Amino acid sequence: MNYQDLGFKCGLECHQQLEGHKLFCRCPCLINDENKPDIVIKRKLRVVTGETGKTDEAAAFEMKRDRKFIYEAYSTSSCLVELDEEPPHEINKDALETALQVAILMNAKVVDIIQFMRKTVIDGSNVSGFQRTALIATDGRIQTSKGEVMIPTICLEEESAKKISENENEVYYKLDRLGVPLIEIATDASLKDPEHVKEAAGIIGMTLRSTGKVKRGLGSIRQDLNISIKGHPRVELKGFQDLRSIPKTVENEVIRQQSNIKKEIRKSEVRKVEPDFSTTFLRPMPGAERMYPETDVETIRITDDLIKKIKIPELLTEKAINLEKRYNLNPDLAREIIEIPYFEDFVRKFKNVDTRHIAQVVVEIPKEVKARFNVNTDNLKETDFAFVLNALNEKMIARSAVVDIMKELAEGKKVVLDNYKTVSDSELENHVAEITKKNPGASFNALMGEVMKQLKGKVDGKKAAELIKKILK
Amino acid sequence: MKKEFSQAELAEIKTKDNKAFKGILIPSSEKDTIFIKLKSGYNIGILKSKIKGVKKLGKIKIERPEATQHKHNKALPTISILHTGGTVASEVDYSTGAVYPRFTPQEIVAKFPELGSAANIHSKLISNMFSEDMRFAHYNKIAKEIESEIKKGVNGIILTHGTDTMHYTSAALSFMLQDLPIPVILVGAQRSSDRGSSDAFLNLASAALFIAKTDFAGVAICMHANMNDNDCLILPGLKTRKMHSSRRDAFKAINAKPIARVNYYKQIAEFLTHDHKKISKGTKLKVHLLRENLRIGIVRSHPSMHATELKAYSNFHGLILEGTGLGHFPVSKIDQKTGENEKILSEIKKLAKKMPVFMTTQTIFGRVNINVYSTGRKLQEAGVIGNYSDMTAETAFVKLAYLLSNHKNKEEVKRLMNENLHGEISKRIVGEEEFL
Repeated sequence: MNYQDLGFKCGLECHQQLEGHKLFCRCPCLINDENKPDIVIKRKLRVVTGETGKTDEAAAFEMKRDRKFIYEAYSTSSCLVELDEEPPHEINKDALETALQVAILMNAKVVDIIQFMRKTVIDGSNVSGFQRTALIATDGRIQTSKGEVMIPTICLEEESAKKISENENEVYYKLDRLGVPLIEIATDASLKDPEHVKEAAGIIGMTLRSTGKVKRGLGSIRQDLNISIKGHPRVELKGFQDLRSIPKTVENEVIRQQSNIKKEIRKSEVRKVEPDFSTTFLRPMPGAERMYPETDVETIRITDDLIKKIKIPELLTEKAINLEKRYNLNPDLAREIIEIPYFEDFVRKFKNVDTRHIAQVVVEIPKEVKARFNVNTDNLKETDFAFVLNALNEKMIARSAVVDIMKELAEGKKVVLDNYKTVSDSELENHVAEITKKNPGASFNALMGEVMKQLKGKVDGKKAAELIKKILK
Repeated sequence: MKKEFSQAELAEIKTKDNKAFKGILIPSSEKDTIFIKLKSGYNIGILKSKIKGVKKLGKIKIERPEATQHKHNKALPTISILHTGGTVASEVDYSTGAVYPRFTPQEIVAKFPELGSAANIHSKLISNMFSEDMRFAHYNKIAKEIESEIKKGVNGIILTHGTDTMHYTSAALSFMLQDLPIPVILVGAQRSSDRGSSDAFLNLASAALFIAKTDFAGVAICMHANMNDNDCLILPGLKTRKMHSSRRDAFKAINAKPIARVNYYKQIAEFLTHDHKKISKGTKLKVHLLRENLRIGIVRSHPSMHATELKAYSNFHGLILEGTGLGHFPVSKIDQKTGENEKILSEIKKLAKKMPVFMTTQTIFGRVNINVYSTGRKLQEAGVIGNYSDMTAETAFVKLAYLLSNHKNKEEVKRLMNENLHGEISKRIVGEEEFL
């Protein structure tokens, strides 16, 4: 497809959750609070009459439904602020600093005075009926392989509540996520093709992660896309779970719009991204957002002095190049290593283990365990890696034992290191001598196989091979 | 039909670092800054020192739809909504962010259509103020307005009010409006009505429903019963207090039960007490105004108190004490460090000679009893009254103002302070397993 000829227009909006505490109260950012909801409140939201005189189709859509909103709250992760029973507290200064760092990394111009706004939201996802949001910086840019992409706005806002279920009369929400700081980054509509959209999303995500302050894992960053081709109004796609699904989904949307044009259906709407790269209707396109000042929050003056004091983090891409050089890693491994915050700690701590081997333990071996044994290794924690590396560092185990130990750790088993204890050189010599005696005339390979089978994970293969060669001579 | 209600200035601001911002200029109190509302809806502030130039692009008219006229329906009761301020009836101008009031009956019904289906609505703006700014003069004005509405023959009155001192006003009106033939319901909001989650809608609709559906007469407060948008409580005007700085259900009955529970969505109003006053066409309202220049103080006892704190009230007309526990002030010298306490006692004595000095308790719940400890007995000997009263300090304060305004004889005022006139003192406080 020639996207230029199609009049392909596409802009990206990335929403990234931050770690720490919520934007306007001291509740921790516990997404998916595992405690039991201990407060349930029922509310109605009124659609406050519009000012423009025009009917907002999305507002009318929600108002017609006249639904009751049921909020499940957790006292571990929400307080009266989330319940809309207390005014917002002072802004989370760490979150503000992170937003400013991102603005600086994207060469954006930070506004002089930040004013938080109330953006009217009527689907119940904000208990108050509005989302608190502020424009932090304008006129940023990122570099892509297909040229510069402009970042017209960088905003800091509150995350909404998560919908659990709904029926005709009621919508159920969980409040754990409500109020978590969210950085919103919007590109202009200059993205050139589906692959370019994915690349830009990747660069924005990488920049955000460079601060070290963002949440990780499924749902912690969300991409919305605005897409249109010549002759079709703008369509918003929401709910990408994975960057890899972007190109195919964008392509499908373009095909859908093309067929719409043929059928003379031209509808501007919000669509939900499905796992099979298709999209389904979500709601009509909302009208111009109604915003008015959040008078409960003071305006924030961003002085030049304050900007100067902000530490600018190294971009992960730059950090990868540095790591590559410093530790003589291959570029792919380095790119994965930068996402592991404790890697350099490990290098400092486990001096007897080769740096490249540390990198293998934290990046490659979990993948190998997953592929070979079909064991989920995503739950391996920093402490698990430290356990294995410490054993290597203290020469308690051989390298060949790592895969099996990691497998046991991933399966949640308690690992008994004694089972993997390295055999001493003299013991090894005895073993090899015995096996050679028992198998007269056997080839090197057969002997090697037998030794490794018997002493699996307890010997260094290289050493065993040397010994066998010596005896065979 | 559209009508213009305000104008906004469109402008382009160029900054010294060559940024350009186009939008609506927003008035601000910060002198060194210009606030502008961008097309995206966001407001930002730009320091004047960083601005190269401001190009005015002309004024734009901001219009709002005019509310439609509602016809009088003879089958429905007529309710007068009197506004004293607060944010119950205000609305936001989304283009500038300014809040403006909507007070005409048409505007009120346009904003709260559920009111129009329950009653014929009259509406009047009495004042537009924060309730903490109110003085006795405002109580007089409100009382007179209510009187004139009753003369017009309305079936009930809703008084919209800031919540901070709503319980003072409800107590004041309970004393000032004697033989009130109809319901007067005070309604406030803890969340302003510009937001979808405002409690104003349900509080107002529930008050109107209560007026339309029941035979209640008298002064009461209607606010949320809990954090949910379902039940509202009708609370006794003389025995209610704001007990939370921000929750929707901040208002609680003190040493008393709520009068009724109202569920607007189920259209139910259920009485929780059996002795409410009933609507009576025959009774004639008598309005007792307050003396506007009265000086009545409220002083709270605390550790390490100083006599000078009391001295400040020497030229007042009356004083409410908020004692600790059963009604105590630090009045005993027990060692070298407590000499100040003797001075406090002597100061209270002096004050009690000049004016009624009435004891309440800062525990809020429960009754004053200054017989139990020697401290209480010393206070009684000093002339402090209020023994066995369970009035809140706020109600006692208002009652003292009402009595001092309408009785010349000080001894008579003291006697009446200790007597239950209109339900302000409970004869019995019944046991509840948990009172809060």
